[in-house]
Amino acid sequence: MGYLDGFKVTLRKWAGVHTDTGRRLTMEYPEEVRPKPERFHGRHVLNRYDDGMEKCIGCELCAGVCPANCIYVRGADNDPDDPTSPGERFGYVYEINYLRCIHCDLCVEACPTEAITESKLFEFAFTDRNDAIYTKAELVVDDDGRPQQLPWENWSGGFDPAADTSGWMRATSPSGNAEFEGLVAWATELGYGTRDAELGQVADVPADEQPETPDEGGH
Amino acid sequence: MSDAPKTTDAPKTDAPKTDAPNTGESPKPIEITDPVEINVDGEQLTVQNGELLIDACERNGTYIPRFCYHPRMNPVGMCRMCLVEVDSGRGPALQPSCMIPVSADMSVDTTSDAVAKVQDGVLEFLLANHPLDCPVCDKGGECPLQDQTYAYGPGESRFVEEKRHYAKPISLSETVYMDRERCILCDRCTRFADEVAGDPLIHFINRGSSTEVNTFPDQPFSSYFSGNTVQICPVGALTAKPFRFKARPWDLTVKESTCTRCSVGCRITVESSRDEVLRYQGVDSDSVNWSWLCDKGRFGFEAYNSPQRLREPLVRDAEGELAPVRWSEALGLAADQIRRAIESRGPASVAVIGGARSTNEGAYAWAKLAKTVIGTDNCDAQLGDGLPAEAVLGLSGLTIDELCAPGGTVLWLGPDPLEELPVLQLRLRHAVINDGVRIVEVGSRVTGLRDLVAQRIAARPGETPGVLRQLFETAPASGDTGLATAAALLREAGDDLRVVVGRPNLAESEDVVLESISVLRSSVPGARFMTALGRANVRGAIEAGLAPGLAPGGVSLSNAAVSDAWSTVPAETGSGSAGILEAAAAGRIDVLVLLGADPISDFPDRSLARRALAATPTVISVAPLLDASAAEARIVLASAAFGEVDGTTTNLEGRVTAVTQKVNPPGTARPDWSIASELAVRIDPAVELGRSAAALAEEMWSLSDAYAELAERPESPSGPEGVLCSAGHALELPATPDVELPAPDSYSLRLVIARKLYDGGTLLAASDSSAGLADDAVALLNPADAAPLGVQNATRVKLTSANGNVTLPARADDSVQRGVVVVHHNLAGADARSLVAAGDTVCDVRAEVA
Ligand code: SF4
Ligand code: SF4
Ligand code: SF4
Ligand code: SF4
Ligand code: FES
Repeated sequence: MGYLDGFKVTLRKWAGVHTDTGRRLTMEYPEEVRPKPERFHGRHVLNRYDDGMEKCIGCELCAGVCPANCIYVRGADNDPDDPTSPGERFGYVYEINYLRCIHCDLCVEACPTEAITESKLFEFAFTDRNDAIYTKAELVVDDDGRPQQLPWENWSGGFDPAADTSGWMRATSPSGNAEFEGLVAWATELGYGTRDAELGQVADVPADEQPETPDEGGH
Repeated sequence: MSDAPKTTDAPKTDAPKTDAPNTGESPKPIEITDPVEINVDGEQLTVQNGELLIDACERNGTYIPRFCYHPRMNPVGMCRMCLVEVDSGRGPALQPSCMIPVSADMSVDTTSDAVAKVQDGVLEFLLANHPLDCPVCDKGGECPLQDQTYAYGPGESRFVEEKRHYAKPISLSETVYMDRERCILCDRCTRFADEVAGDPLIHFINRGSSTEVNTFPDQPFSSYFSGNTVQICPVGALTAKPFRFKARPWDLTVKESTCTRCSVGCRITVESSRDEVLRYQGVDSDSVNWSWLCDKGRFGFEAYNSPQRLREPLVRDAEGELAPVRWSEALGLAADQIRRAIESRGPASVAVIGGARSTNEGAYAWAKLAKTVIGTDNCDAQLGDGLPAEAVLGLSGLTIDELCAPGGTVLWLGPDPLEELPVLQLRLRHAVINDGVRIVEVGSRVTGLRDLVAQRIAARPGETPGVLRQLFETAPASGDTGLATAAALLREAGDDLRVVVGRPNLAESEDVVLESISVLRSSVPGARFMTALGRANVRGAIEAGLAPGLAPGGVSLSNAAVSDAWSTVPAETGSGSAGILEAAAAGRIDVLVLLGADPISDFPDRSLARRALAATPTVISVAPLLDASAAEARIVLASAAFGEVDGTTTNLEGRVTAVTQKVNPPGTARPDWSIASELAVRIDPAVELGRSAAALAEEMWSLSDAYAELAERPESPSGPEGVLCSAGHALELPATPDVELPAPDSYSLRLVIARKLYDGGTLLAASDSSAGLADDAVALLNPADAAPLGVQNATRVKLTSANGNVTLPARADDSVQRGVVVVHHNLAGADARSLVAAGDTVCDVRAEVA
């Protein structure tokens, strides 16, 4: 009678909606939206410093590290009188192809200037392949530091600028070393200033497994 | 918003990172003549006595990290990165392996704790002053400092102080930027400029941690070789403007090829990203360029990337404008015109000029099209500025290595090597300074060999044969010390004389050169010759058959063996460019094909070139860019350029090396061979010229014994040293014509039209960074000739010959011989070719202040 076993699940669930023993999983999406987990990886944004300068220097490290090979960057000389980013070079072309991106966040780790980070925005669907390739003009944050909402993106779950944008890495440090927890080692961001560190990363690690205290410096 | 196309397929490199940075620098190949045993890290090695320890180790698989040592320059021991523990019998001591010659029973430890500590320390010191702006540095990703820090350096820095700051890059020259923060003071660039290029224009200035590399005030690093410093700089201190921020090194995919901007044939890598060539780097070919390139070659890719490139064929429409058409239409029209010309006035009414910019395969396809399908022998790869094909191929050859072999004597009758064959100038410089080679130069002005010649003999245009007779036949008058010294040097060399001939002066006829050759051949029967003609593949094109009277392989048409591929050959012998253009001007040519040739800009008699093109009903230009002659053509076929075609090229030694396709041609542009092959079937549907460049090559190699080595191993010219071919060495030299010089006239000056590296050429004009480097035309006069004319700086003078006049600024210059006026070819402001008539031996002009 093994083949009837599967029906037990259905029966239990069916009974469950009428009692309190089962939990209903279905939600009325998109009217109802599940809160996103803390380390959620959505589509990218290109950040700016709080003076409005772009952070991206066109170094292509993100493109170099991307395992899906979906970032295309080209750098160019900054106009010394009207620079796009601090320094000599800025990201002249920046494109991410979301038909390929696996949201691994390696690009975010590689970026030396925290220019590229992932937001938690993930609800977008296109009817044109070209829309899937986000250009620099689409990725770079607005004048208030918020990502730009593109016509094919659904933000109906609301958008909390503080929670839905920027770096999950703020928990530790740009170098990823948990020993630097709480040390602010990142630059300011347009619209948010210097973001606070997120704490609580090393607490769960037993004392003897924690990394050694670094000598000094850390750069 | 970026305007680049929305595509995302950045290339990946998966080259493994090894301890040995992939700089392309490896020890010079040597032969072990005096073997000694040394012990390196416990392994017994047999090496050449006296060679540098750093090279001996690398040759045997132990790479010692280094910054300042370069295998093609003298060691200086600046950086101390190469310290290893050397025990020569008195216990181990740390010594710089780039300064230590190996000796018997040396025992070396390259990995001891002491060595590791030293490497760690050297790197930490270097990084103390280094800005670590790798993400914006062009070198990041292929940087020896990065790589060696990862491999041998400290994991973390203890330096927390403020670093030194300089203004970010300053311009050392038109093409090279200097970022002084990044410099590690290895002395490579300055040594290169001084030792190798002979342009000591950059130096260390200041002291201590303020030391920097810079130019003298107001004197830019304007060296023809400045790009080499960018390649050898072990950090990103020196960067090249044409490559700046164009791509990161890991974007680039690389193929080896051969530079075809001049006939030296330097080996290069062609590096591209996203179907665009972004950089060439020098490859160390031991027999040719020793890893050096000239800037014209190095930055030559800019011309091919230019937006002016022809992307589709053009045909003159009803209004007389060149308008784009489809290939089938352009080829159909071209084939039609050729067929009609053959039918109405015979195959000799079709002529082909050019081919020296093609690959061997392209030239061969065109030679075969012209000579077997059309049936005309009116083909010439040269533009009246070369030598007869029989002389180019028939003189017993000389390789660059033989020319520069230690202790030899060179008689230089060729063009200015610095301006026309830059890397050959570097080889000669090395040979004179390090290997005791002596150069005797005969010419009408001081060339780039200026400080290198053992003796320079002045000869006005046309007078060289007379000077040679004096040197070899009559004992020079004892009073004239220059002649006497030169004669003594040449006598000493005896039969082992190395002669370089060429066309140093476009206003002097080739007959003068032929007479010089004949004087030399009778006085020094053993003399060996190098024909130094500037155009890149001129020798290969001639060997492929693009010369009147010749079949492929340097066989004269009358002796050409009938084969399947060459079943018929033209019945009448044709003429060279001068003859073709004269026939065209006289209305006897119906179709003139210009295969990458621009007679209006390059033929010495400009007015003849113009008249010829105007009188020819159908001019077909096969060109990558719309040059002056293509602009006059009826049909322009867009051809694929360097880096867009596979094939082979032949340099001035007869060395056949591979050129490779790295990117796709723009638009629908096609390789020369494929255009020939398409035309062939349209002219005669029964003909199949060749399906691919490789098939054409294979056919060509099978036609002559000279190509035996290539025929055996069709893949053989792939290496940097290529394959030396001796095609045509059995050819008879043309009879020496009687050279009559005009009667001496105390008022006139004799005209020299010489070439400059940077001129107004179509390719240079299409290159952003080189276009501005060409000077304006100036008439250069000896001060003794300038004074009586009242020439101050920039006085405008009018030069008048029997054929025309030009007016241009003049300058007194003591590098010019008395009685001579030098005007450079193809510079803005004046074209001295309007003074010249084809067929004149020399060109005498009168100068007066305008
Ligand atoms: S998240 Fe991963 S896959 Fe997506 S762009 Fe970044 S590196 Fe590439
Ligand atoms: S986003 Fe960051 S890693 Fe990517 S190019 Fe810009 S600066 Fe470099
Ligand atoms: S610029 Fe480069 S090559 Fe020149 S000394 Fe500095 S590090 Fe060496
Ligand atoms: S010397 Fe000639 S072959 Fe060599 S890089 Fe310069 S142009 Fe090219
Ligand atoms: S490589 Fe030997 S001291 Fe620099």
